[in-house]
Amino acid sequence: MSTQIQEQETETETEETSEHQTRRLAEKRDRADMAERAETDLSDADDTVKLKVFRYDPEVEGKKDPRFDTFEVPFTKGMTVLDALIYSRDHFDSSLTFRHSCRQAICGSDALFINGKQRLGCKTQMVDLEWPVRIEPLPHAEVVKDLIVDMEHFYDQMEAVEPYFQTNDLPDGELEEQRQTRENREKVKMSTRCIWCSACMSSCNIAAGDNKYLGPAAINKAYRFAMDKREGEDMKEHRLNIIEQEHGVWRCQTQFSCTEVCPKDIPLTEHIQELKREAVKSNLKFW
Amino acid sequence: MAEHYSSFEPKGTRWLIQRITAAFLVAVLAYHFMMLHFVNHAYEITFAGTQARMSQVGYFVTMVLFLIAGAFHGVNGVYNALVNQGLDGTQKTVVKWLLVVAGTLLIVQGIRVASAMTGLF
Amino acid sequence: MWAWIFHKFTGWVLIGYLFTHIAVLSTATVDGATYTETLRGLESLLVVRFLEVGLLAVAVFHILNGVRLLFVDLGVGLEAQDKAFYAALIVTAAVAVGSIPTFLGGF
Repeated sequence: MSTQIQEQETETETEETSEHQTRRLAEKRDRADMAERAETDLSDADDTVKLKVFRYDPEVEGKKDPRFDTFEVPFTKGMTVLDALIYSRDHFDSSLTFRHSCRQAICGSDALFINGKQRLGCKTQMVDLEWPVRIEPLPHAEVVKDLIVDMEHFYDQMEAVEPYFQTNDLPDGELEEQRQTRENREKVKMSTRCIWCSACMSSCNIAAGDNKYLGPAAINKAYRFAMDKREGEDMKEHRLNIIEQEHGVWRCQTQFSCTEVCPKDIPLTEHIQELKREAVKSNLKFW
Repeated sequence: MAEHYSSFEPKGTRWLIQRITAAFLVAVLAYHFMMLHFVNHAYEITFAGTQARMSQVGYFVTMVLFLIAGAFHGVNGVYNALVNQGLDGTQKTVVKWLLVVAGTLLIVQGIRVASAMTGLF
Repeated sequence: MWAWIFHKFTGWVLIGYLFTHIAVLSTATVDGATYTETLRGLESLLVVRFLEVGLLAVAVFHILNGVRLLFVDLGVGLEAQDKAFYAALIVTAAVAVGSIPTFLGGF
């Protein structure tokens, strides 16, 4: 097909081939070559790895029943699961759908269930896994398509804890900064690292059973602000009131799975436990 | 999340009591097992032996506290396990009161039994 | 995750046992002889002896893991909390196996 268009171009010769056209045609050639290129890559490669990827699309006739597709990709040094998925999508099946953005473990888009554990695709090295690699969408969330899950519930729970800085405790001077001591910063440091990937929520058995449970990410977010001294005591009490509800901290059974899977190494269970102790202490004071 | 009217949801109270009863039970359950299976032997049990133990005030009181702590810890544990699994709404309220009744009956019956064991009643 | 699952499972067994236990002991409210006969009768069944070993295992695990959970709740020794679970399993197995001679005694 591309040859046909090229002939047309030389025939007319009325206008110069524009930059856009040149680029478009080059990209078109590239895409047509993809499958061929993959074959060359595969035969050249020292190692190839198989991916077993979950596929599901409720809007396409042949894909309404979930299944696993196998993709064989050439292995390159330093390859991550995300790299392998992108290779598969680009060379074999452009309908393979998954979220990804920064590819450096900061945007939180590509949390997946890889070989039975919640991990970020971009942060997981292929060499660290057993092959073939099994890739599924995060468990305990509704699957929209292929590896994409509905994040609305997760966002709802995050919003429920008012995940933003708020204070009535303003400093005296007009343009004075709200200062935080080094120790206070240290205390909340780990809790600030959350990238909202929802790996933790996906790993929690309580979150799976009890839909109202706030979940580790939301409670950790509450911790980040409740423990921030710049917010003042009243605000801390307000925040504790939210997470002290029945489906707040008390539902945590210290399963520790959240801590295990968090890609930012946040000690989630520890933070939740600390909030339980805070709640108990503040309630005992009234007696 | 406006569940403020239930007398059973004071924030964190049940959580705390679950831990306190836990600590108490660790000690007393271990003691109970030791006494009745290793010091004394279950296969040699007689009412007389039981009565001798239960007639001692300290032992009797410990056993009653053991019963109350165990009943609370266990029934509360069951309630939590069910809420964690997603028990909610009317069902939850019904189950909660059933558990309260069951737990109370257990304690009442247990105290009656304990009293009968002293041989004084 | 398994610690939570086992703790729940042993918990259900123990509360179920507590109700049964009080029921059996209620023979004491009838008279001393009924109590003694009922209990001796149960103890004469081999399956009951083995169930008792099982009960011990369940109780020991729930206690040991419970102690681990109390430490977690206090925020003490969190670095070793997963090792503590494995230790609880091992000690439970050891105690259960070690108790068999005593529990089968007098049979």
